[in-house]
Amino acid sequence: MIRVTGLTKRFDGATAVNSLDFEVERGEVLALVGTSGCGKSTTLRMLNRLIEPDEGRIEIDGRDAREVSPDALRRGIGYVIQGVGLFPHWTVAQNIGTVPRLLRWDRGRVRARVEELLDLFGLEASEYADKYPSELSGGQQQRVGVARAMAAEPAMLLMDEPFGALDPVTRGRLQDEFTAIRQRRGITAILVTHDMDEAFRLADRIAVMDAGRILQIDTPERLLRGPREGFVRQFVGLDDRALRILSLHRVSELSRPAADAPAPAQWVAPGDTLREAASRLIWEAGDSLAVVENGRVTAEIHAADIWRIGARGEA
Amino acid sequence: MSRGALALLVALALFAALVLWPGLMTPLLRLVAEPGQALLYDRQPIRVLVAWHLALVGAAGVVASVVGMTLGVLVTRPRGAEFMTLARMASNLGQTFPPIAVLAVAVPLLGFGFEPTFLALCAYGLLPVFENTVAGLRGVPAPVREAARGMGLACSARLWRVELPLAAPVILTGLRLSTVVNIGTATIGSTVGAVGLGEVIIAGLQSGNTAFVLQGALLVALMAICADLALRGLERRMSRAG
Ligand SMILES: Nc1ncnc2c1ncn2[C@@H]1O[C@H](COP(=O)(O)OP(=O)(O)OP(=O)(O)O)[C@@H](O)[C@H]1O
Ligand SMILES: [Mg+2]
Repeated sequence: MIRVTGLTKRFDGATAVNSLDFEVERGEVLALVGTSGCGKSTTLRMLNRLIEPDEGRIEIDGRDAREVSPDALRRGIGYVIQGVGLFPHWTVAQNIGTVPRLLRWDRGRVRARVEELLDLFGLEASEYADKYPSELSGGQQQRVGVARAMAAEPAMLLMDEPFGALDPVTRGRLQDEFTAIRQRRGITAILVTHDMDEAFRLADRIAVMDAGRILQIDTPERLLRGPREGFVRQFVGLDDRALRILSLHRVSELSRPAADAPAPAQWVAPGDTLREAASRLIWEAGDSLAVVENGRVTAEIHAADIWRIGARGEA
Repeated sequence: MSRGALALLVALALFAALVLWPGLMTPLLRLVAEPGQALLYDRQPIRVLVAWHLALVGAAGVVASVVGMTLGVLVTRPRGAEFMTLARMASNLGQTFPPIAVLAVAVPLLGFGFEPTFLALCAYGLLPVFENTVAGLRGVPAPVREAARGMGLACSARLWRVELPLAAPVILTGLRLSTVVNIGTATIGSTVGAVGLGEVIIAGLQSGNTAFVLQGALLVALMAICADLALRGLERRMSRAG
């Protein structure tokens, strides 16, 4: 658990981070979003003491971060650097094994962990473990960057645009991988991004920053339904908020009982988002859709229920 | 075998042949010699001159590298930044102050022979090593440096395991420049009595014997070419590992 109070950093008199207060619970992912230069990276870098705050207090699992030596602190916190920053003279395996080796894990354990992580991120160990970063594509490098941060099973991850600078398809796949890993392992993380969609997809709560301040910190749904006037409203974007709200919900939340039958031509799975269901309903011009599992209809979902979720007021 | 390695092998073989059997050069030297003049320098065996020349350049190279790299590392540490201008001035001075002037100053203090020449070469070879160490360390990409810090590598581990290995090819270039230049510069040591290949050239100049000058110059040039090729090969190998 992280608790930050009054965190402030100035560079040459200019305030980069201005009196931040927030908490991140165990198992929670908090997204920091905002325009370039609003202080996101500076905030992360204070959390692992790459820079020291001018004011304020950082508590990690109840301990003041200043009481821990910076190197020890950093070994316990996974850090994904903006711009990846793999060590170019080390292989993928050596890169991922950096922190475990610092923690003096024995060779076999490091090797096993590296293979496990490569597997987790969809990189064949036999093919990629001994490659150098320059032999990887940008997306593969970013995966290795995230794997390296997770290697020593840190209690907490700081991720600075971990999926930045990628095409939408690869980005989407990495986001899915992240979600899957999260469901299997549980991850406590602060995720920096300037992509609002990424924040909606991955985070439990979102902090919208501007000019060094947090303007609003809320769950995705509450941020969409009640954004504060001004910058937050503009940044969150209201044009398709109904659809964005739908994408936060799953079909299973609204399924109604239906008779067992073989799958029809158009259907949805219980794990699909309401947004996908809505899109299919609009396409079919229908008012209900079959919910299918393992090729059999198990339930159905009604358009009217979906519209109600997307409408104002509901929370 | 790569082309670089092949060129090095040829250059080394040629150099070794001309050192061990100086007579091989006579047909060439005959072209420039006046009738009746000696063709081959014979006051000292060439082997001995080459050995001293190498010792001089090598010893100066070791000192210039150690000092240059240490200075380069120090001024790129956060606490050493303020010494940057000072170190740069000192190493610049070493390079801009002509070695011959260093000799003139050093001889009264150190006497004739090896020592003043050694000092002049140390001073002259310092700058390329220092500048390239600084450039190499500064060239380590910021995200890589940040990653090393962010992963919790201690100061010394960051230097030895990340920064220096990544800067090595650039530092080695500085070392190569320094060595190659000093192989040539070391010839002036013979004006103050340092044993080396300069002796052959100077003897030629003093007695108007062009054959001697050519012999000495060829050997020095070949030695420089060998050093250049060898260190280039090393550089390539290092940057490939990265
Ligand atoms: N080391 C530094 N020295 C001086 N100013 C800095 C330093 N680091 C950051 N800043 C300034 O602090 C402000 C916040 O920078 P920061 O890197 O936190 O932004 P960011 O939100 O991460 O932006 P981006 O999305 O572009 O990465 C910027 O105005 C930046 O110029
Ligand atoms: Mg940033």
